[in-house]
Amino acid sequence: MSNEKSSPKKLLPFWPHYILSELIAWYIMFGILLALAALVPMGLEEKANPLETPAHVKPEWYFLAVYQFLKVAAVFNFLGPEAPRLLGVFLPMLGLVALMFLPFLDRGKKRTARERPLMLLMTALVLIIVIGLTLWGQYS
Amino acid sequence: MKATQSPSWARIPNAIFGWFDERIGLTGMITALLHMEIPRSAHTYYLGGITMFFFMVQAATGILLSLYYQPTPEAAYDSILFIMNELNFGWLVRSVHAWGANLMIVFCILHMLRIIVQGAYKKPREVTWMVGMGLLFITLGFGFTGYLLPWDQRAYWATTVGTEIAAAVPFIGRNILEFLRGGADVSALTLSRFLGVHMLIMPASLIAFLTLHIIIIHKQGLADPKAREDE
Ligand code: HEM
Repeated sequence: MSNEKSSPKKLLPFWPHYILSELIAWYIMFGILLALAALVPMGLEEKANPLETPAHVKPEWYFLAVYQFLKVAAVFNFLGPEAPRLLGVFLPMLGLVALMFLPFLDRGKKRTARERPLMLLMTALVLIIVIGLTLWGQYS
Repeated sequence: MKATQSPSWARIPNAIFGWFDERIGLTGMITALLHMEIPRSAHTYYLGGITMFFFMVQAATGILLSLYYQPTPEAAYDSILFIMNELNFGWLVRSVHAWGANLMIVFCILHMLRIIVQGAYKKPREVTWMVGMGLLFITLGFGFTGYLLPWDQRAYWATTVGTEIAAAVPFIGRNILEFLRGGADVSALTLSRFLGVHMLIMPASLIAFLTLHIIIIHKQGLADPKAREDE
């Protein structure tokens, strides 16, 4: 059970207030989804041909950052011939593991964003790097 | 004039509800589920709920697609063509499923970012966070395995390079790649296992993880950014 104490005035009833807003949010999202799906329909390319590699082969956008990092990791060559591949795989993995254990790495009691400038800064930095790598991967 | 009394048929829903309520305690269940309060200072921006909404859309459209999809390299592409060109609104269902997949990933990440910004992962919500990370991986797994299914050039080569990322892992990279592909290349075996993962393993694990996620959230209540735990 939660041991946070708040006065009733600071509480919002889940039903019907929160649920109603949630349903409105779903309704709007459904509209956006239908509009996107109808206006920009999912296409279909030529049937798969294992013998013919297309010019611009890319993974899905959500793997592009890792994919691009793996390519960029070639700069670690000065550390030895195996370094690019090792670092290219292990650095993103390390990042993911760190993210997974975030609650155990950041044990500060403060919660509001205003009181945690360092955390915000790091989040912004990681975001910029990931988005940057994704765009780089997309347009290279 | 006599007081208007509702006609007897209008009392049927109440009677049915009453019948069940008396036996299995519906009122108690509904109260326990709905009558909660959440801190006004917690702003979810409905991101978790929206992610869940997209999952429901994916389940509905995915089931519809599965009725016509044929999972062999010879037939898959043609069955997608059939869905798009012959089936009434088939193109729309497929398009909604594809857009919904991308939006689900986007909103899952946005939801995670709001958890980070508001410090909602801190004690006692570490478990909710870890289960959430599981949900993120499952959501990405859905995308990865689903992308191959249309069996067009984009699908085939995206899967080829996607699985090649795994091959970069030292020592066991090659084994991971062959495990993912079911052989050295992306082939009929890859398609079968991607479909199995996409339609059975991923939905089952997502539902299990999500149930856990929600049960814990319901038990603990939403985090109040203004409150400090253990003080
Ligand atoms: C399929 C993906 C997911 C779904 C459907 C989902 C759903 C939800 C819902 C409905 C809530 C209630 C509050 C809200 O809407 O924000 C919630 C809260 C929460 N989620 Fe998720 N979630 C998902 C992924 C994640 C991920 C990736 C993380 C982080 C790694 C995460 C961590 C949390 C935490 C810590 C809470 C508690 C927030 C609080 O107490 O204020 N979830 N989730």
